[in-house]
Amino acid sequence: MKMRSMVVLTLLSTALVFAQESKEEDIKNPLAADPAAIAAGKRLFVEGCSGCHGTNAEGGRGPNLAKGDLIRDVPNRRLFASIKDGIKGTEMPLSRLPEENIWQMVTYLRDLTSPAFDSHLAGDPEAGSTLYYGKAGCVNCHMIRGRGGFLGPDLSNAGRSKTPPQLREAILDPNATIADGFRGVTVTLRDGKKIAGVAKDNTNYAIQILDGHGDLHRLLKQDLSEVVFRKKSVMPGDYKQRLSASEVDNLLAFLSRQSLRPAESKEISK
Amino acid sequence: MRRSLLCIAAMAGTLFGQAGYEKIRKGPTENWLTYAGDYSGQRHSPLKQITNANVATLVPKWVYHVDKSSHLEATPLVYDGIMYVSDSNQVHALDARTGRRIWLYKDEQAKRSDVNRGVAMLDDKVFFVTSDAHLVALHRKTGAVIWDKEYANGKQGNFATLAPLAVKDRILVGVSGGDSGNRGFIAAYAAATGEKLWQFYTIPAKGEPGSETWGEADVQWGGGATWLSGTFDPELNLIYWTTGNPWPDFYGGNRKGDNLYSASLVALDADTGKMKWYFQFTPHDTHDWDAQAWPVLMDMPFQGRQRKVVVHANRNGFFYVLDRVTGEFLRATPYVELNWAKGVDAKGRPIVLPDTDPTPDGRRVCPNVRGASNWMSPSFNPEKGLFYVSTLEACDVYSSSTKKGEPMKGYGGTGTAPSGDGKFYMRALDPKTGEKRWEYPMTGANAMWAGTVSTAGGVLFFGDDDGN
Repeated sequence: MKMRSMVVLTLLSTALVFAQESKEEDIKNPLAADPAAIAAGKRLFVEGCSGCHGTNAEGGRGPNLAKGDLIRDVPNRRLFASIKDGIKGTEMPLSRLPEENIWQMVTYLRDLTSPAFDSHLAGDPEAGSTLYYGKAGCVNCHMIRGRGGFLGPDLSNAGRSKTPPQLREAILDPNATIADGFRGVTVTLRDGKKIAGVAKDNTNYAIQILDGHGDLHRLLKQDLSEVVFRKKSVMPGDYKQRLSASEVDNLLAFLSRQSLRPAESKEISK
Repeated sequence: MRRSLLCIAAMAGTLFGQAGYEKIRKGPTENWLTYAGDYSGQRHSPLKQITNANVATLVPKWVYHVDKSSHLEATPLVYDGIMYVSDSNQVHALDARTGRRIWLYKDEQAKRSDVNRGVAMLDDKVFFVTSDAHLVALHRKTGAVIWDKEYANGKQGNFATLAPLAVKDRILVGVSGGDSGNRGFIAAYAAATGEKLWQFYTIPAKGEPGSETWGEADVQWGGGATWLSGTFDPELNLIYWTTGNPWPDFYGGNRKGDNLYSASLVALDADTGKMKWYFQFTPHDTHDWDAQAWPVLMDMPFQGRQRKVVVHANRNGFFYVLDRVTGEFLRATPYVELNWAKGVDAKGRPIVLPDTDPTPDGRRVCPNVRGASNWMSPSFNPEKGLFYVSTLEACDVYSSSTKKGEPMKGYGGTGTAPSGDGKFYMRALDPKTGEKRWEYPMTGANAMWAGTVSTAGGVLFFGDDDGN
């Protein structure tokens, strides 16, 4: 366990160095965004990397690469080199594959960790919108540009801030990661009154709860007789059963289009 | 200002309604709803619990660290027990009683990172600007984005640092960037939708009145940035906003004339953005003396008659009193030692002394480039009738170059070098007479930028030059 932590830490610090160097002139990925290279890279990753990094790069003995924070700001030069030559001082080994295969893996990792907005997801965004505001009921808890409920994270910029795997996980396995400030809680006041919602913050002395009506309750623990946190996410855990695979794809496509900023900032008229 | 917020007063939690226009108009209570406390910009709290007798017993209640902040320059707003603090491209909502964070909004896509001076509030929304000039409306309970509007173009030299101003149903913004070339403006956006309602350029376009004061200069890069918030008179329906220096800062040979409406105060109709009057403090400025600190509104007797006035302590070293209905000049008095003008004429125009314009060899001029005061918040205590302003006594050697600078390359027509040591003072000025009533000299590194807040308890709060 200790060893694993050290590896993660080393990789993390390496990533920071990468980030600092990202302003250097980079080399071009000859296969960038090539769908065939993405597919080939994924196969190579599963064969050679999944033992440590997980089948979907979700991490294991090695760090989670799917989250994107270790990969996104790393220039091609360093990403390529760390796969080809390994990372000294860590368990990351070198690879004897030809350069083309290494570029295929780089291409796969780029695609995996790109914001959903930059991915070309297969689903139908319009059908996804209908689901979001209708049958799936997402709007009851999640806001997009001011429309929606209070108990889930704002999704106005979901396409920019999340990768496709993160969005998929959030829909199908909401208990895997509960966002900060969105853990469900019910408290009982000394007079017996109960308040339920999500805890924006919690300490030994105070708790701040946002309820489903959007009212914020700032409470001192000394005024409470009981605080009960939900073990599971407030988000329903049955979307895997409630939605078909294509409906999930449509929902993902809709969420991937949610961006506060356009692809290219438009010129402002004088 | 420090990188953390220190709260020294416990606040009770109560459930409020929305932070509506009428509440802002009433001025501060236990809430602080706009950057300068109220629309007049007096920055005076009516709270009396802290007095000269007990202020020494204050102790820290909580400290909140704004992660990775290098320059926290914001004035927090407080409403319904929640404190809203901004930094570069981010807003933090804190429980004012405990200092714990309720939500954090961060714009990770912003293209630059500059200081940020605060948020505006209106109804259920909190507004702030990103460094790359997006005006963003957030839900005040959750930090969820209601709308996000790019309002100025970075390719035209603009960026943003100010706290927006919420007036009636609209949000007013300005732009930074005048020291490297831009064209300043003030614009109003509908609070509900982000729709642009009007835009007023501080530098007139060719052919418009005032454009004849720019010689051959390209007005697109004339400067006149609007770095800070303005103030507002609801009865007159006028907005008062100060404007920045013309560009290039230190060489005026290519912009012959007064360079309207740079280094000025403009009064605009809040509904239309049309200019009702202007007053230029420093015509044809060549010392980077923006009109910086916001204009403070008050009513007072002047020469036997009650007047609605606006007062402003300018970087150029004069303390001004103007009629805020008409823009009529009433008085200007030096509040620091200055050597560039022997006074002002009957219209308020400076009587400039010879040999004070920057030259290639440099000329020693006081005040220095930071100005007699700058964006540090002034305040006014109506009970005492005193105006409090952070003041710098300092001189610089100002140099210039005839080289034609390229905009957005950091060129200001050359620059300045310190001439001797400077010293900061907190000064209390009497707007009725223009005289200094008292001063508090500061020791320190000569690097303070902290403002003031006055209280009905009789205590004036400010950060000093020694970091206290």
